[in-house]
Amino acid sequence: MAIKFNRVDFKYKGDDKKGYLALSNISLSIQGEGEFITLIGETGSGKTTLVQHMNALLVANSGSVDIYGIKVEKQAVKKKKIRLNPIRKKVGLVFQFPEYQLFEETVLKDITFGPKNFGVPEAEAIETAQRVIRIVGLDESYLDRSPFNLSGGEKKRVSIAGILAMEPDILILDEPTSGLDPMGRNALLKVFYDIHEKLNKTVIIITHDMNTVYEYAKRVLVMRDSYLVYDGDPVDLFTTKNIENWNLDVPDILNLMHRMEQDLGITLTSRPRSAAALTNALEEVLR
Amino acid sequence: MKNIVIGRFVPGKGFLYRMDPRTKIISLVLLMASAFVIRNFTAMFMAIGFMALLLVAGRINIFRVLSGLRPLMYLLAFTFIFQLLFNTQGDLVVAWTLHYSPLNILMVTALVMLWFFTKRHVKFKFFFFLATLVGAVALVANLRLGPAFATGTLDIYESALTTGFFIVMRLMIIVTLSTVLTLTTKPTDLNLGLESVMSPLKVFRIRTEEMAMIISISLRYIPTLLDEANKIMLAQASRGVDFSEGKFKAKIMQIVSLLVPMFIISFKRSDELANAMEARSFVPGQPRTRLHQLTWGLADTAALVVSLLALTAVITTRVVM
Repeated sequence: MAIKFNRVDFKYKGDDKKGYLALSNISLSIQGEGEFITLIGETGSGKTTLVQHMNALLVANSGSVDIYGIKVEKQAVKKKKIRLNPIRKKVGLVFQFPEYQLFEETVLKDITFGPKNFGVPEAEAIETAQRVIRIVGLDESYLDRSPFNLSGGEKKRVSIAGILAMEPDILILDEPTSGLDPMGRNALLKVFYDIHEKLNKTVIIITHDMNTVYEYAKRVLVMRDSYLVYDGDPVDLFTTKNIENWNLDVPDILNLMHRMEQDLGITLTSRPRSAAALTNALEEVLR
Repeated sequence: MKNIVIGRFVPGKGFLYRMDPRTKIISLVLLMASAFVIRNFTAMFMAIGFMALLLVAGRINIFRVLSGLRPLMYLLAFTFIFQLLFNTQGDLVVAWTLHYSPLNILMVTALVMLWFFTKRHVKFKFFFFLATLVGAVALVANLRLGPAFATGTLDIYESALTTGFFIVMRLMIIVTLSTVLTLTTKPTDLNLGLESVMSPLKVFRIRTEEMAMIISISLRYIPTLLDEANKIMLAQASRGVDFSEGKFKAKIMQIVSLLVPMFIISFKRSDELANAMEARSFVPGQPRTRLHQLTWGLADTAALVVSLLALTAVITTRVVM
């Protein structure tokens, strides 16, 4: 088990004494390879706080998080008994807003910043940068440009490349497709799925797009008011749970299937999760 | 980062919250001026008593003010030490001969080691450090273990002690007063008050509304920018920047990785804020109506009279004595 949450509570300090409760009694485990997880829930439900615990950027008020055998808990971190950097090498987290991390003169320098912090030699880091910039859908001419003269979408891609260059075992992305056009969004989701498929890495994506969840996810986590209310299969989530209570909606494909059943009387034998699979299923029934 | 109090409004009750911002600003200036004029001990202790009274009567959490003073501690301590070392006026108070003998130096090293290994368990680290420093000097001055290979002198003069004391107290009073102002006054009220207080400057064609707006916006954005800095630190930490340790060269890189995004975000934010204000028809220099009108009460007159009395009192004592 790569990451294991053990009854984690977390509160943000506020001006008043109460503070803001962001995580309550969270217990879950995540494998180090082969998982494709989406994390959903309404805004303010604690999604970002949860993923920031996964690479020890935040530390639980009570309870503990085991990350690759290192037990991260409040007392140990306070007394500096554990080194957090090795954790961050293994668990890469891409923040929602690229502005918070871009700072170098050129894209190349910015992408190699992470690997160099973890002791990767310069030449090797540059090679990696040339590789990852193509993975995120930009070309090598971008490497010499300033990260501040890029469009929002390009900045986002560069910030993702900066984390990919660290070659983490677990890749976590906080709303990676917000601010991208539909084409770019699909291409990037494909990239994450490829990383998951080909390298057998665990990928965790925070998203508000139910279609992404339904098409790609092998496992869904739903946050609601600081509680983890669902942890399991996406098909089960959308077909058996009362998701309106959690401010979620139904993926387009499921909506379409429902309308076909009601209005056209077509009942599919399988449960397609993408447009292509739906056409195949439809073809089978109509034939 | 989060415990920086200067410039942050904290909701609460108490008479200071109900007072007119104009009174508070004028009184602040008058009392600050008084703090600078004071030159004798009785008056200074009275001023400190007055401050304590103000905090208690205004029902202000004293720990909040103290934590606001914390960043100032280093400045205060070093001004005081410099005064001690370099001010040579008045009578000689302390004339110590410092003995540098091998045994003495060993003792001092032991003390420093003790400080080094126990400091993480002590709550008030800075005072602990100061105490160690004083202890080390006292050790060298008073212990005469074995033959000294060199001697030095430490002379402290009367004027050094008094001047140091006054400088430290003045700075503390000034920071406390301004903290009280921002703690008890909403940024919008502060803006209104500043604008109103500065309005006589219009005679000199100084655009006071704009100045007030600039000041209040910068005060308003201190906490916001601190939150941003926190987020940037998290984002860089996830790329392996360790802000707590590292060599000097690494430290510079860490600071750059924090400052550059900070600047970019500040510029972007101010641009967006300007657009948002324009979109709501803000035109600099145009007369504007107010939702909240300032009201002058009895307490305001009283506060102003008290501050004026304080200033005249300290001026007269200084002139007469």
